[in-house]
Amino acid sequence: MEKELAMMDYDEQGTITEIEKDLRTRVAGMGIRVGKKLRMVTKQPIKGPVDVIVDGAETSLGLDMAEKITVDVV
Amino acid sequence: MKILLMGHPNVGKSVFFNRLTGANVTESNYPGTTVDYTKGWMKIEGEDVELIDVPGTFSLDPKDRAEEVAVAMLHESKDVRVISVIDASKIERGLYLAMEILEEGYPLVIALNMRDVAEDKNIVIDAGKLEWILGVPVVSTVAIAGEGIKELVSRIREAKPVDVADITANTASTADAAAGTAGGEV
Repeated sequence: MEKELAMMDYDEQGTITEIEKDLRTRVAGMGIRVGKKLRMVTKQPIKGPVDVIVDGAETSLGLDMAEKITVDVV
Repeated sequence: MKILLMGHPNVGKSVFFNRLTGANVTESNYPGTTVDYTKGWMKIEGEDVELIDVPGTFSLDPKDRAEEVAVAMLHESKDVRVISVIDASKIERGLYLAMEILEEGYPLVIALNMRDVAEDKNIVIDAGKLEWILGVPVVSTVAIAGEGIKELVSRIREAKPVDVADITANTASTADAAAGTAGGEV
């Protein structure tokens, strides 16, 4: 099932299927690209950032960025 | 000749810097910003060369002031060699930055730092093979323990610009050879 990264629940895992074009190069340096598997670990309240684990490394994404990333959740 | 230490934040650039330079270190702000950087001198085969500890950056497409400074320092320096410091346990994103630097034609040496941490996570990297694929020196290091630093210094002279097309070709042939074996290898 596909959903926005920002909408993922705690501990949910999935594969990135789409990243909005303007964001693609910005997040590529952090290891986030289409086809990558990730796990959501924490979401900060009040529009705070979303923390995900990609390749065993924790990365935190602003909510506005997380809204532009689509994940196929397993 | 100038040497820049570049890499993501928290990969050990400053540990290398402290290991490689002695006294006579200057810390200053990049003109017009509050981003500071350190520079010092080191000796390679008797010659004094300037070593700069560049602020950490994720890519050459800057997202904040510190990254802007990092990129500007790379672009403004002449006769520069880059030591790309990579956290061996997060090699993919580290290589992303290294590739960006290579694409712009800078001579590069790769320091695969924190080899011990990577091994704790069951990540073992074949530095020789990576070196063959990329065509630039790749050295495994544990900077805080001083492992691999000497080898790194001795290979800085070998740093050279490479053609990205060659890397693509090498990657393809490695991928063919590895087709039957288990994935996950870099």
